[in-house]
Amino acid sequence: MNDVITERRIPIIKIGNYLIVSIQVDMHDRLAIELQAQILEELSKTGAKGVLIDISVLEMVDSFIGRMLSGMASMAAIMDASVVIVGMQPAVAITLVELGLEMPNVETALNMEKGIEMLEKNLKQRNANKA
Amino acid sequence: MMEEGLTINNLKARVNRIEDILSSVAAGDLEARINSEFEDDFTGVEAAVDLLINDLTDELMQREKTQKELEERLATIQEQQKTILMQQEDLLELSSPVTKVWDNVVVLPVIGTLDSRRTQIMMENLLQKIVDTGCTIAILDITGVATIDTQVANHLIKTVTAARLLGAECIVSGISPAIAQTIVHLGIDLSTIQTKATLQESMQYAFQRNNQHVVEIAPEEHMSHGE
Repeated sequence: MNDVITERRIPIIKIGNYLIVSIQVDMHDRLAIELQAQILEELSKTGAKGVLIDISVLEMVDSFIGRMLSGMASMAAIMDASVVIVGMQPAVAITLVELGLEMPNVETALNMEKGIEMLEKNLKQRNANKA
Repeated sequence: MMEEGLTINNLKARVNRIEDILSSVAAGDLEARINSEFEDDFTGVEAAVDLLINDLTDELMQREKTQKELEERLATIQEQQKTILMQQEDLLELSSPVTKVWDNVVVLPVIGTLDSRRTQIMMENLLQKIVDTGCTIAILDITGVATIDTQVANHLIKTVTAARLLGAECIVSGISPAIAQTIVHLGIDLSTIQTKATLQESMQYAFQRNNQHVVEIAPEEHMSHGE
């Protein structure tokens, strides 16, 4: 792995049962693919039950990134974790809808706080289902 | 150079005069006339030239007048156009009042005719407001809308989807019988959208989502609160 990529790596933080990923840089395709792989890797390593992806600083999301996020949710679901995307900008939402990427399988929340609430609710529900 | 039976006095000078007059008319002096003082066979030609200059002058003046009138009218129309554009802008500003009505609830009442442009602006305002206030429930009340077309319905669906992407739930209320008929006839599928009959019912739904409910308090209790 060369220096440029390590330098730009997006931190994945584990808090409690959840992984928190805050995307602070402009995403390009390779970074997106790497991030996806890293998150899934981390999920299996830590056994986290939820992933919170904060995209509040992202001004632009193209169809590739959109598909990556949407795919991310499906992959995490198979690995028994839920994905919540938080803080999407209105312009980004409009772009995604115009691109036809409605992401029906992705859960969204307005901010981190609401996102964590949502993950907790999901986890509780899942535990209730198991019991 | 006289021909048989023609009497013309001073021909050279008079031809020169005609040339002079014609060139000054061409240069823009519309008052110039030949006004010959001789009475002979050439006078007719001079009179005819004068007549032609008269006609031309009239024509020119008429044209100038018409042009001026047209310019004035154009200016008026442009002025009116400007007013209309300004009012349109105002209308668009006024036409999407997104209001926070309760904890976690914003309402956008829509009144009048919906076109794509207006729906687009509405959508942007609503989404921005959702982000600004952090409300997770948005009610789009279209009681005041008479008809909608495919494009507008499509925009409504997009608005609801975009709101969902932000993390908010969008409820559409007040769909009139006419609109319901149109939507079904056009084959638009609104089943993905949460719809409620009235604004009141959507408010109730919003309370429910917020885990709140409205309680009626006894009159005496109400009085004691006032004191």
